Amino acid sequence: MSIAAARSPRFWERGDHEVSLARIYAIRAVSLLGVWGLFSTVMSLFDHAPDDRGMIKAMVSGLWVMAIIGIRYPLKMVPILLFELVWKLLWLIFFGIPQWWTGIGSPRLQEDLWSIGAFPIVCVLVIPWGYVWRHYVKEPAERWR
Amino acid sequence: MTAAVSASTPLVGPGEYEVSLFRLYVLRAMYLVLVVGLGAMIVPEIVDHELTSRGVIASLLGAVWLLAFLGLRYPLEMLPLLMFELAWKAIWLFAYGLPQWSSGQRPATFAEDSFNIAFGVVLLFVIPWRYAWRRFVARPGARWH
Repeated sequence: MSIAAARSPRFWERGDHEVSLARIYAIRAVSLLGVWGLFSTVMSLFDHAPDDRGMIKAMVSGLWVMAIIGIRYPLKMVPILLFELVWKLLWLIFFGIPQWWTGIGSPRLQEDLWSIGAFPIVCVLVIPWGYVWRHYVKEPAERWR
Repeated sequence: MTAAVSASTPLVGPGEYEVSLFRLYVLRAMYLVLVVGLGAMIVPEIVDHELTSRGVIASLLGAVWLLAFLGLRYPLEMLPLLMFELAWKAIWLFAYGLPQWSSGQRPATFAEDSFNIAFGVVLLFVIPWRYAWRRFVARPGARWH
């Protein structure tokens, strides 16, 4: 009884683990959302205009592959979550917000503001910041010699 | 003498570590290429661009640039970033680059894009595949309960 209790800390608590089980499921949920939501973009790879540039679709499809890995290894794929947060923030700061503010923007601004601009909030909520701090700031650098 | 020898790790073999010191330097060189290359190509585009520019590609690549700095310090932990780079570039080559190259129906950006993206082939030699296999396939995923 007591062994079982020690082995499985409560759902919301970290216990001896890196993050709580709730956090792992939150990351898995976002990864699953990515796999589901980006699937139509992946499918469009097989049917596009012959002279389409394809950069965005290829990058989004790359993120789709990473999201699949993220379901099994949510913590090891945290760099991808950080990437999602950073690129969307960059877009908001340098493109979305100035264009929305001035009223002069790309023709797809409204659509992008929603599909890109809303996600930094999700990323901020899902990213395990304590884990990020321990692993990507406090932890000594990987060896140099 | 012996203490000094055992304190410094061999450059080539992995020894007691996950990968060799040589591999860590190869990885760091790759992140440095991203820092320098994207820094020259993308950062100016983010900071100073047409008001109506959509900015999605610039923001995506800008985030790769920022996270590559973390890769200099933690080359193995940031491996998902390089995996993402390889994935999206391979996807672009197969879904866009090669078909457009063989059919001759190319977008105006083809020459520039295909050069920069095809350079990603070096990632095949940079990524430590045995380590990646162990870390992202063979080892059990994060806990489910």
